[in-house]
Amino acid sequence: MKEITLTIDGKVCKGTHGDTILGVARKNGIDIPTLCFLEGLTPIGSCRMCVVEVEKNPKLLTACTTPAQDGMVVHTKTETLHNYRRQVLELLFAGRNHFCMYCSQSGDCELQRLAIEHGMDHVRYPFLYSDFENDATHPEYQVDHNRCILCLRCIRVCAEKVGAHTLDLKDRGWNAKVISDLGKKLGESDTCVSCGACAQVCPTGTITIREFAYRGRRSDCDDIVESVCPLCGVGCKIKAYVRTGSVVRVEGTTTDQPDGGQLCYKGRLELPRSTERDRIHVPMIREGVHYREATWEEALSLVAENFKAAHEADKAGALVSSICTDEELSVFSALFRDSLGMKRLDTFDGDILRGFMKGFEPFRKQGVRPFTAAHNILESDCIVNLCANPDEEAPVVASYMRVGVLKNEASLINVSSWDNPFEGITDVDIRLLSECGDPALLDSLTKAIIALRMSEEDLGKGTEALNDYRKYVQQTASLVDMDVDEVEQLVLKLSKAKKPVFVLGSNVSKNPLVVQAAVNLAIASKAFFEDGIGVVPLVVSSNSLGTVNTVLADEAWLGKEDLDFMYVFSTGMIPEDEDSLAAISRTKFVVVQTPYLVHPLVNMADVLLPAPAWYERSGHFCTIEGERRRLNVVVPPKGEVRGLASVIQEFASALGVELGSPKAVPCEQLFGSEKAPQNAQIVELEEVSL
Amino acid sequence: MAKAKLATVWLEACAGCHMSFLDVDERIVSLLEKVDIMYSPVVDSKEIPKVDVGVISGALGNDEEVHLAKKMREQCDILVAWGDCAVFGGINTMRNFMPTKEVLEKAYIDTVSTVNPKGVIPGEDIPELLPKAIPIDQVVKVDVYVPGCPPDADTILWVFQELLEGRIPKVPADMMRYD
Repeated sequence: MKEITLTIDGKVCKGTHGDTILGVARKNGIDIPTLCFLEGLTPIGSCRMCVVEVEKNPKLLTACTTPAQDGMVVHTKTETLHNYRRQVLELLFAGRNHFCMYCSQSGDCELQRLAIEHGMDHVRYPFLYSDFENDATHPEYQVDHNRCILCLRCIRVCAEKVGAHTLDLKDRGWNAKVISDLGKKLGESDTCVSCGACAQVCPTGTITIREFAYRGRRSDCDDIVESVCPLCGVGCKIKAYVRTGSVVRVEGTTTDQPDGGQLCYKGRLELPRSTERDRIHVPMIREGVHYREATWEEALSLVAENFKAAHEADKAGALVSSICTDEELSVFSALFRDSLGMKRLDTFDGDILRGFMKGFEPFRKQGVRPFTAAHNILESDCIVNLCANPDEEAPVVASYMRVGVLKNEASLINVSSWDNPFEGITDVDIRLLSECGDPALLDSLTKAIIALRMSEEDLGKGTEALNDYRKYVQQTASLVDMDVDEVEQLVLKLSKAKKPVFVLGSNVSKNPLVVQAAVNLAIASKAFFEDGIGVVPLVVSSNSLGTVNTVLADEAWLGKEDLDFMYVFSTGMIPEDEDSLAAISRTKFVVVQTPYLVHPLVNMADVLLPAPAWYERSGHFCTIEGERRRLNVVVPPKGEVRGLASVIQEFASALGVELGSPKAVPCEQLFGSEKAPQNAQIVELEEVSL
Repeated sequence: MAKAKLATVWLEACAGCHMSFLDVDERIVSLLEKVDIMYSPVVDSKEIPKVDVGVISGALGNDEEVHLAKKMREQCDILVAWGDCAVFGGINTMRNFMPTKEVLEKAYIDTVSTVNPKGVIPGEDIPELLPKAIPIDQVVKVDVYVPGCPPDADTILWVFQELLEGRIPKVPADMMRYD
């Protein structure tokens, strides 16, 4: 990149060709006030706060959109500019309702801050008192158009980062108004995914989150804790604002980050809600149909007594939530697996994870990483949704996919046996005739692509390859509701794509062959990313991958036989599935450790132990974004809640067992790659090792 | 040295600005060594006398308030707009989104807490509403603006001290607030 030099406020500043004046100024520590600008969103220069004077140019220029040029002499702090900016602010204040005393954002408002900084002690223009509506139809968010300054940040973040493009602008001039869909109320919108990104970027009190309104300004908060959302495999980074021990606001990172700083509705709203749920404060022991409070010593010795007998008879099991940190999981593993040699240890999402891992196994053996970070979907030009329902499984992944299509012009192929979750933006929609758990379609597509490549590359075997190609195209067509032409188009699309990516839903992964077939298809279509093969597995929680070498069982055991003892650790954040609950209820003696009164799980317990909630713990999560992310204590635990590690420690001593040091390998090491994904070989599907 | 003369008037506002002024606490004693409060909600005088500094808190919402604002302007050398209502119109502007007839109906008949079975709206002998509640500088010239809902006691005191020093103060960013 060509380096350029310009003078800003008398200082010689270096920048790169393509930078804006604002970009160069910020790089060189010169502050230019901005309002509509937000790093990571397309700059539009609409608010005129960032105007600067450029010598030899008669007009004032917006620093956020004007490309910096070599030799420019820029002034950012002249009296003219100050007056002009103050005038802009006064016009904004006069335009709509910007009376701060009854606004929930007062003190957090960027418009207010700028006005104060510019010494706006009154407004020289008559107020318009324009009367816009206050749209309170959405259950979580409120839009008061009277407080809008038309910076369009919400519209841009919704289109460019969330990919929903729910918001847009209606009318012109002072009548302009942000609308959802084609003029519907926000609560009635079909496209809104309720993620709240618009509220996070809103500089004024226009779009606000009910949950957070009037609960305290950012500056009033005692602490801002950076942590990780545990509720899906992505593990988005969150910023939690804590005031007097309660969570008053949750935000994503900033819009210039790879994930766009977004959170989904779960990530934004579940944390404050999970601090308000009914908790279990003390250990409890069942007596008949009632529970009575007990001391930790009494409860743990009762647990130990029942466990010993069951363990000797090989009738004990332990089931652990995957919303545990790597550190906690390794303590579980150290006790149950290493010290006690227990085989029956698993997580609630064990079946899904075992499917993924068994499907990935042949490729991991080759030394390649058979999956890629979810945000790499944004680099792809052809996104394939394989029986996933990202809007529910991992909403931020759905955002990546929509942005991939709408902004980066990738094509989207949906394969599912149910309704297409990306209706309207899909290029090819393949409706499976059989259930999603059948690898045959992926296998014949893989073979068709290989044959097509052979026919193009190898002249010697061209005819044979072409015959193969026709055979597999025919076979594919027979598996789905498509004719041969359409299949040919599909095969062509996949083989021509530069960086295809395959998003794999959790409901197909219970059959490892589907996972393996998907990786094969990814290899055949050359889905190679820097960190691994272009498959994004939608695992259940943000530390599902961390369970792989700690508590995940080699084979499913839950429900196969009735046990005498079961220890269950639930975080109460993801509902237990019916099969697990049925198996737990058939066990003779059940110990449930959980932070919340989760029904019906707690009703099955013979001993109920309190646990710290996820936001009261710390450690590391191994996310599908390929990063080990740190979970931090947002609010410290109250009452007689003890940390998981200390409970396990005491349980071990009650059993008279020595707890060895945890042996788990950090997950980067576990999922690290020795070879570039280009070296991966397709592994023929076999009906073995299931 | 003769004491400076001060008048303050409470127009369409909640009294918060005067309450905030009282938050200067014991510092009011040393202020009163230099200032005579000639007219104010806390002083029993009927007419605004000639003063050095006039202070208006509150917006203009009816013809009596316009009269008082003009009177204050006539009687003072320096006029201070005190608080968000006087500076911007403040919370009173919430009524600007409906016609005055509707405002009166809402206030005297419609609100849930009102018992007015005959639907009487007081009209005689009380000032008539302006079409809209407005900041005072739309009617009288203002010399010093002190926004805030209310302005902090420290800010109010600082403004008076500056005026006593013979300067026309402009509230700096670290003292300015709109809420």
